[in-house]
Order: sequence, then structure tokens, then C-alpha cells
Amino acid sequence: MTELAQAVVNGLQMGFLYALVAVGLTIIWGLMEMINFAHGEFLMLGMFGAWWLSAGFHLDPLLAIVPIALAMYLFGMLVYQQLMRRVQGGDPFTQIFATIGLLFLLQNAVVAGFTSDYRFVNDTFLQKLGGVRLTLLGVTFAVPLLLAAGLALLLFLALYLLIERTEFGLALQATSEDRDAARLVGIRPQRMFAVAWGVGAALVAIAGAILVNFFSVYPQVGLQFTVLAYAIVALGGFGSILGTLLAALLVGVIQSVTVVYLPPAFKDAFVFASYLLIGLFRPQGLFGRF
Amino acid sequence: MARLALVLGTLAAILYPIPLQIQGTTYYQTVGFLVLITAMLGVGWNVIGGWAGQFDFGPQVFFGVGAYTAALLYVKLGVEAWLGLLAGVAAAAVICAVLTYPLTRLRGHYFAISTVAIWMIAQPIGATWEYIGAAQGLFIPMKAHPGIVGSAVALQFSGPTKALGYYYSALVLFALTVALMAWVERSKLGFYFRAIRDDQEAAESIGIDSRLYKVLARSITAGVFAAGGVLYAFWALSVFPEQVLELNWSTLPIMATVVGGIGRLWGPLLGAVILIPISQIMSTTLGTGPLAGRGIDLIVYGLIIVVIAAFRPTGLLSLPWARWFGRRRPAAA
Repeated sequence: MTELAQAVVNGLQMGFLYALVAVGLTIIWGLMEMINFAHGEFLMLGMFGAWWLSAGFHLDPLLAIVPIALAMYLFGMLVYQQLMRRVQGGDPFTQIFATIGLLFLLQNAVVAGFTSDYRFVNDTFLQKLGGVRLTLLGVTFAVPLLLAAGLALLLFLALYLLIERTEFGLALQATSEDRDAARLVGIRPQRMFAVAWGVGAALVAIAGAILVNFFSVYPQVGLQFTVLAYAIVALGGFGSILGTLLAALLVGVIQSVTVVYLPPAFKDAFVFASYLLIGLFRPQGLFGRF
Repeated sequence: MARLALVLGTLAAILYPIPLQIQGTTYYQTVGFLVLITAMLGVGWNVIGGWAGQFDFGPQVFFGVGAYTAALLYVKLGVEAWLGLLAGVAAAAVICAVLTYPLTRLRGHYFAISTVAIWMIAQPIGATWEYIGAAQGLFIPMKAHPGIVGSAVALQFSGPTKALGYYYSALVLFALTVALMAWVERSKLGFYFRAIRDDQEAAESIGIDSRLYKVLARSITAGVFAAGGVLYAFWALSVFPEQVLELNWSTLPIMATVVGGIGRLWGPLLGAVILIPISQIMSTTLGTGPLAGRGIDLIVYGLIIVVIAAFRPTGLLSLPWARWFGRRRPAAA
């Protein structure tokens, strides 16, 4: 019983990290309905940026969030304006094609610059707290993961308020629902898309700067997180920020509980099996509007 | 014009390996084999992706189903490859139909993720199921075959003619696939698929059962992928999960289809003829030497893809070829 409770708690803690990776995807894919196969590479750039600032300038990854988020915001806008804007008018599959090209380009540019070695950050604030644990009713909580979860919650709250409570957020939603109607009321759709790509890239880069405290960095690190992130966004329902958060927590719990009873090879398979099962009853995801 | 291109293309495809073979090189025959297998998968993927308009990122599962079916029949029961190919195609189509029917409740991106989900579930099954060899997979032994006919019947070529033999086998399979898909494209089936893509509600209102035809489209795609899987398995002489369930078996054909022109019968061939040699040539030239292992070849490859996508999002077959080349003929005649 304690074992199960511990698995659930571990799963929730991992779930918050997954939620961080997925939230940038919720904006670009879930809300604006543009496909980005290079999402994992944006994450990788964030992680590499945090590693580079930590190794070269002794900047703690948590402080590195600010410059990394700014740089990736600009990078995301650049990707939209130079590449995705041209592709947008064509078949949706062209977006896949274009972003797979971007994936090759970014991943191997980093291989060329830094080689494929695994890299670690040392002595970060969260790692120094590594030994600190809280025990409650026989269940152990790791404090660094709790702090990361807190950061994730803050980000989600900020994003929720941005999308649901500000004029900018309403303009973004209007663009995603009907581009031409949005243009009629004075919204510039291409600007909205550019900002969405910027915000999405910045968010996933922030996720990278936090993840770097817990995982090693290498040019191919993105895939393992993004396959799950795609499932999380779909499971939560397109365009729902709350749905993404809850789906991520659910995925974390499914994984850690699966590992208690089955070989670890099946932990992702069970996440996807749950997606299929839930999809049969809720084809629009848990909180999807369409 | 189109007929002339077809005849010239067929002649080129049949004749180009012969001088190379006489010279004693086999490299370009292997590249040709990879081009044809990618193009064939692309033609198959066009049915679900291009005509029926559904996002399918999981057809590589059926590439694996085909490879495993034929390999199991060959290793355990001694069934010959071409019979195994028929069995693999049938098994993939049936398994695909059973799995896909419930999924057709999901639409758009939700359906796309469900096809990925099946792939994610297939991987650990392939890696842990002892009967099919788990992670080590199955080894396909060579048997002695008398002469060219014997090798062709058994789909087993070895020695200096290995690349050539598999090249022509792939050419035959590719030609069969294109002929079949050309027929599907013009049949009622093809019109139903495109009707569902263009407007599912309208298609349903004139009595087209969209779920049934989506399942049919995906099963046709699955059958083509299974045939490709069998061919690849006998070429590689082995089947194991990380090889046949590799993501590239769907991304490469999809990319070839998009480059050439999605929903066009010959699009995947054009795309594969461009993409595969570029990646092969770059990995042999830029992938070696002082910068080896630094991924320079893939950077250039990625750049080429990004540039094609940015400047011709509708695919290369959508360029005004007829205007460029079609007008010359009446002028000359």
C-alpha cells in the first residue's frame, strides 16, 4: 500500500516536469493548430543553453531561465516568420516536413558544435537540496522535485491568466478559431502566430532549464520527452491549458504505477494504451473543446 | 507526354544498373533499392495520407507485421518468401482493420496520436515476446538456390549480384504497387477517399460510411508497408524490433511524398529520387573525413528540406512542368 502511494507521489512529481514540456506544445499545436516536430529540439536548445551558461559562466540554471527564455522567444518568432509562415498556406503535412528539416538542422548543428557526449550540470541550487527529503505518512517527497513542481504550477497559472484573462489572450484564441474574422476586428493573425511560436519556444526552453537539474543533456535528448508531450496535449484536449496539466499528472502516475507491476519497457506503452482507451469515450480529449 | 515520360522512366529504371554491374560497382544498385522501397511505401502512404487525408504516423507497425510474418513462416515452417509476402500483406491488412476501426471515432490530430500510440505499444511487445525472438529478433538463414530463377523465386540473392537482385525485386514490387494504386485512384474507392478528405460531413450525407472507408484506406496502406517490410527483411537477412519498427520507415516515405507532391501518384517516386540519394551521397562525402561524426551531412540535408518546404510548400510536382516542357512538343511537331 505504501509502495503504491509512493509510486503515485513519484508519478505526480514527474508529471509536473512533463507538464512543463507539454505546455509550450499546447500553445503551438493545441491552440494554434500548427505541427512542430522540432519541439523536442527547442527543449534541447533550452537544456544546452542552461548547461552552457552553468559550465561557462557559473550561472545557476534557475537564474539562466531569464536569458534563455528571452533568446528562445526571439528564436521561435524567427522560425515562424522565416519558415512556418511560408508553409502555413499549404497542406498541413508540409508543416511536418518543414519541421523535420528543422529537427535535423538544429540537432546536428548542436552535434557539430558540442559533439554527442552526455553532459551534466553540477552544484546547482536544486542539486544542493538533493539530500533534503520530507516524509509524510511513510511517503517520501524529494524537495528539488517539489520546487520544480511549484515552478511548473506558477508557469501554468501565468499562462492560464495570459490566455484566458487578457486582451492579448483573447486575440490569440480568436485567431485560432477564425483567422479571417479575427482580421476583420483588427487582429493581425500573422503577428499572433509569431508571438505564439515565441511564447511556445520560450516555455519549452524554460522547461529545459529546469529539467537540466535532473537529466543529462545530449543533442538527441528531445525525443523521449516530446513523444509523451504529444500524447499529453491530445489526452488533455486541444487548446485546454488545464487539460494539459491534468493529463501530464495522469501520465506521470500511469508510468510510475506501471513500473511497480510490469517490466519498465512497458511504461510508455501503458500511457498510450490509456490514451486509446480514454479516446474511445472522449474523442476530444479530457477537456477538449473540439 | 505523360506516356513518353513513363516509357523513358521505365527504360532508365531497368537499364541504369546494367553498365554499373558490368563495371563491378554495386553501391548505386543499393541506393536504387532504397529509393524504390521508400517510393513504394510513399505510394502506399498516399492512400491514407494523401487521398483519405488522415494523419497516419504509425504505418511502420505494419512494415514490422509484414517482416515478422514472412520471417516466422520462413524460419519456423519453411514457407518461401513470396508466399510469406502474400501472408504478411494479408495479416497486416486484417490486423490494421481490427485496430483502426475503433480509432476512427477520433478525428484529425487525435487520430494521428492514436496511430503513434499503436506504434508505442507495438515496440515493447516486439522487444519482449519470446516467440518472435524478443529483442534479438529472428535471423533469416540463406539457403542454396540454383541459378537466377531459383534466387528470384526464393527472394534470396547473395554475392556480387545481391544488390542487383534486390533492386529488380523492389522495381517489380514498386511497379505492382503503382499499378494497383492507379487503379484504386480511378475506382469508386478513390473517389470516396477524396470525398472524405475534402468534407467528411458532406461525404456522409450522400451515404459514404466514412469510418469504413478510412479503415479500408489505412488497410491498403498497411498492406503496402507489409510488402515493403518483407522485402527489407529478406534483404537484411534478419528482423528485429529496433530495425523494422524504426520511426524512419514512416518519416522517410512521408517526406518523400510531401516533397514530390502529396496525393499525386508519382509524387513519392520523385521525392524519393531526390531525398534518398542526397542523404546517401552526403553521408559518404561529408560524413567521412576530418568532420566525420559531426553531423555536417545531416545539417545540409536539414537545410535542403527546410528550403524546399519554405519555397515550394505544395510539392515539386505542383511546379508548372507542363508549361515548361509540354509546350515544346507541339512547337517541334
